[in-house]
Amino acid sequence: MSKELIRLRDCVMSYGDEVVLDHINLYINDKEFLTLLGPSGCGKTTTLRIIGGFLSPTSGDVLFDGVRINDVPPHRRAVNTVFQRYALFPHLNVFENVAFGLRIPKTERDGRKVKLPEREIHERVMEMLSIVNLKGFERRPVSALSGGQQQRVAIARALVNRPRVLLLDEPLGALDMRLRKDMQNELKRIQQEMEITFIYVTHDQEEALAMSDTVVVMDGGRIQQIGTPEDIYNEPKNAFVADFIGESNIIDGVMRADGVVEIFNRKFQCLDKGFAKDEPVDVVIRPEDVDIVDEAAGQLRGTVTSVTFKGVHYDTIVDFYGFKWLIQTTDFCPVDSRIGIKIDPDGIHVMKKSQYSGMFGDYSSYSEEYEELDVVEDEDEDGEGRDAREGGYEE
Amino acid sequence: MKQSNRIGGRIFIGLTFLFLYLPIFLLIIFSFNAGDSSAVWKGFSLEWYRALFQNRLIMESLYTTLLVSLLATAIATAAGTFAAIGLYSLGRRKRDALLVVNDIPMMNADIVTGVSLCLFFVAFFQGWGAFARWFNGVQGVVELPERLVLGFGTMLLAHIAFNIPYVILNVAPRLRQMDKNLVDAAQDLGCTWMQAFWKVILPEIKPGIVSGALIAFTMSIDDFVISYFTAGSSTSTLAMRIYSMTKKRITPEVNAVSTLLFLSVLVLLVLNNVREVRQERRAQRQDVRPPSFFEKLSMRLSSPAWKWARRGLAGAMACAFVVLTVLLTGATSSQPVVNVCSWGENIDEELITRFEDETGIRVNYQTAESNETLYSLLKSGGADYDVIVPSDYMISQLMEEGMLEELDYSRIPNFALIDQRFRNLPYDPENKYTVPYAWGTLGLIYNTSMVDGEIDSWGALYDDQYAGDVLLIGNSRDALGVALLYLGYSVNTTDEGEIREAFDLVADAGRRGVFQGKVMDEVFQKMEGGNAAIATYYAGDYLSMLDNNEDLAYVIPKEGANWFVDAMCVLKDAPHYDEAMEWINFIASTDANLANMDYIWYASPNTEALERYPAYYQENSEDGEPLDLELYEIMAPPAEVLERCEMYTVLPPETRTLYNDLWIRLGT
Repeated sequence: MSKELIRLRDCVMSYGDEVVLDHINLYINDKEFLTLLGPSGCGKTTTLRIIGGFLSPTSGDVLFDGVRINDVPPHRRAVNTVFQRYALFPHLNVFENVAFGLRIPKTERDGRKVKLPEREIHERVMEMLSIVNLKGFERRPVSALSGGQQQRVAIARALVNRPRVLLLDEPLGALDMRLRKDMQNELKRIQQEMEITFIYVTHDQEEALAMSDTVVVMDGGRIQQIGTPEDIYNEPKNAFVADFIGESNIIDGVMRADGVVEIFNRKFQCLDKGFAKDEPVDVVIRPEDVDIVDEAAGQLRGTVTSVTFKGVHYDTIVDFYGFKWLIQTTDFCPVDSRIGIKIDPDGIHVMKKSQYSGMFGDYSSYSEEYEELDVVEDEDEDGEGRDAREGGYEE
Repeated sequence: MKQSNRIGGRIFIGLTFLFLYLPIFLLIIFSFNAGDSSAVWKGFSLEWYRALFQNRLIMESLYTTLLVSLLATAIATAAGTFAAIGLYSLGRRKRDALLVVNDIPMMNADIVTGVSLCLFFVAFFQGWGAFARWFNGVQGVVELPERLVLGFGTMLLAHIAFNIPYVILNVAPRLRQMDKNLVDAAQDLGCTWMQAFWKVILPEIKPGIVSGALIAFTMSIDDFVISYFTAGSSTSTLAMRIYSMTKKRITPEVNAVSTLLFLSVLVLLVLNNVREVRQERRAQRQDVRPPSFFEKLSMRLSSPAWKWARRGLAGAMACAFVVLTVLLTGATSSQPVVNVCSWGENIDEELITRFEDETGIRVNYQTAESNETLYSLLKSGGADYDVIVPSDYMISQLMEEGMLEELDYSRIPNFALIDQRFRNLPYDPENKYTVPYAWGTLGLIYNTSMVDGEIDSWGALYDDQYAGDVLLIGNSRDALGVALLYLGYSVNTTDEGEIREAFDLVADAGRRGVFQGKVMDEVFQKMEGGNAAIATYYAGDYLSMLDNNEDLAYVIPKEGANWFVDAMCVLKDAPHYDEAMEWINFIASTDANLANMDYIWYASPNTEALERYPAYYQENSEDGEPLDLELYEIMAPPAEVLERCEMYTVLPPETRTLYNDLWIRLGT
């Protein structure tokens, strides 16, 4: 749809023996909303900082518009960043925070330093403040603003410089649920209005699915999958992606033939092809793709062990031969009742075995797993750890 | 129960503050005392403040103190700030380790810091000397100075060194509080690191820098011990000057200068606190205030149009700094100078000014606390005096060790004015090294209102009749010397039996509770205030005590006493020998002797001055009152009295060791 703007080629980042990024290859198109998604420590922030110029990869190239920019310092890149917790300048008011970048004299091609006239600065700052809905707040000290307002100042401060690319490092992490939803829409609107590239880092999969054109799922310093939100959700490449994006039951299976997969010694129809005969595979079944039927009519039979009301549906945990599934259904089945299930062929997704096989997709410890998903990254520890390794103020 | 606890707590707090502030309050009160006593109130007066500002030595040391504090603060603040930022770019473990290392110099005893810096500088100077000799030998283009000495430069370095940790300690927490992403954000928005430092880091850590600088400044002004070891012989800070002035007694001038010092530190602290409170309030109100004058100024200055003004200003400041430093170090080399070391309160300072005006030679006048400190200063190699004024026995010792230079008497015509009685004395039998400066006696002072009848024997010191009212003089030579005299022995005896006998006499009296205490300077307060009846002390000091307590009497007991001479000598290899000759000749003149006699109340060795002093006194006293001749006899005893007195000679080392051992056994 549009041309390539940024490319990371074989980027490796390591500190001694510790490899933080392991051969990252990635390209980002102009005017794209791309999200780096992954759990804490997966390398997504490191990737962002490499693009921002705060880090230089141990090996590999960073290309911007086809030009290698590994050694270009941050202040000379056409990229601006919205930092985790905003990093607003506490000694300046809203106006001056936004005007900060405009007041730095720019060096022209011929070496002359040019400073923007005060009138233009004023116009651009006011225009930006109206885009982020902060008109009338110019003279406020930033410490007097709410989290959401500070967020908008941070965005305005970055965008006022008219960057080609805006980097956002977990910008909504510190906001409450309600505000987060509003800001998601706001960000998407601004991105479309300004027509620039957003590179967005988050560990919140819902946020990623809701906003992005492209999602890059990362873990352990590697890219696990790149694709549109739909691809990522419907066709996860491995157990990690399947588990990290949405809810998944992941079961060991054997591919008996094209379109036939065997689970719990029963054959199921599916749409997947191209596997070797009798190849062991991981089978993903999304909780909403399972229909509950009478025990007698079911392809599989099991016992309900727990039911939780979720509003639209019930989260029902069913024990099939010692393996616990999560099923999201609008039918209420009491605990200890025997049920049967049916799965349509398009509800079954077969994946190759990977290093993640067997690690995810079992709901035996259902409640704990839920909590785990809600744990917000311990940013302080993360930040400190990174700081200790990288050093705070490198040029 | 609870109520009484609260009252108890309040009383306790009250007492704590009383204990903390009462001494300072007293000091302030007595700085306004019309009299010169620290015990007797004689009415309100600003006299001592006037005297203070006319006291050239104090003003010079005040200037030195301010200069060294300001320079050290400025340099240490800049260095410490960048050091703290550097620390914060290290890993956490390294940073924490280094911050602990940073704390150690602050907790370390000043004396250890001072001595180690002194050793370091002296060792460096020796290495430098060897290097400079070699360097000057192999080429002739640049001549490096071969001899470096402790002075203003070394003291400045020491102050910078001990100030930096305080700055780091104050800046570090601000950096810790600062969002680490701020610098990234500034760079992201187009700043270079340096621009980010000025625009973001500096405003964020400014409160830490300011309080760090204030603390560094206070520490610098306050410091005594480290300066004492690194300033060498030719530089004195205010604290060092005050210390040397208290050698004899705490004069009201010291009270005045201490009051001013206390008030200025107080003002600094109050300023700092008010500033902090204001900032907090502003932060709380979060109000929008128009930029202040300075902010407007700095905003204008930071615009590109002012770039050259900015650079010019920075350049001018750098130039001023360089010029100042060069002036300070160079002032000594461009103008002839003479370095003199004497005792505190031992010269009429107008003489210094007069000498400078007449000869164009600058006098660097320093003071030592005692013969023994002077000796150790000379031995450590840290001193570069030309003229020193030690006492008789110390002169013998210095001569024996070959530390004195012979004088060129052809250039000291005024030596002819020195009375025959004070020439060729035992410490310098051929009179090749010395010109006498002042002389006096050690006698017995008693309070006539507390003692029945007259005292004429040292025996009174050991008499149960005066139990608890006798002050034992606080140095071994005088205390045991007086006992030897009482027993009929020589003060210079080396016979162990005689010395032990004298010790037993003193120790026995001590056990019987005759002595109230062992004192030196406190003798003034005790005797003036009537807190003790009998003491051993010097005639000149008796005369100043008499001013505050008319009941005091001075006697040279029938067993005889010690008399002493302080004489001017020149050190071997003195860098300013010619100027030293001029100074000695000037001080030996009749005019100078008269002025000094009137100021220090010790007798002059100049025949003419001795004769003319009574007339001089009458001329100069406010109401034309004639000199009390009885007092004059105490100041300058006639020949027949002097004949009964004995001068100390230097004792052999084993006797000195015996003195020390016995003195320690005597305890307090």
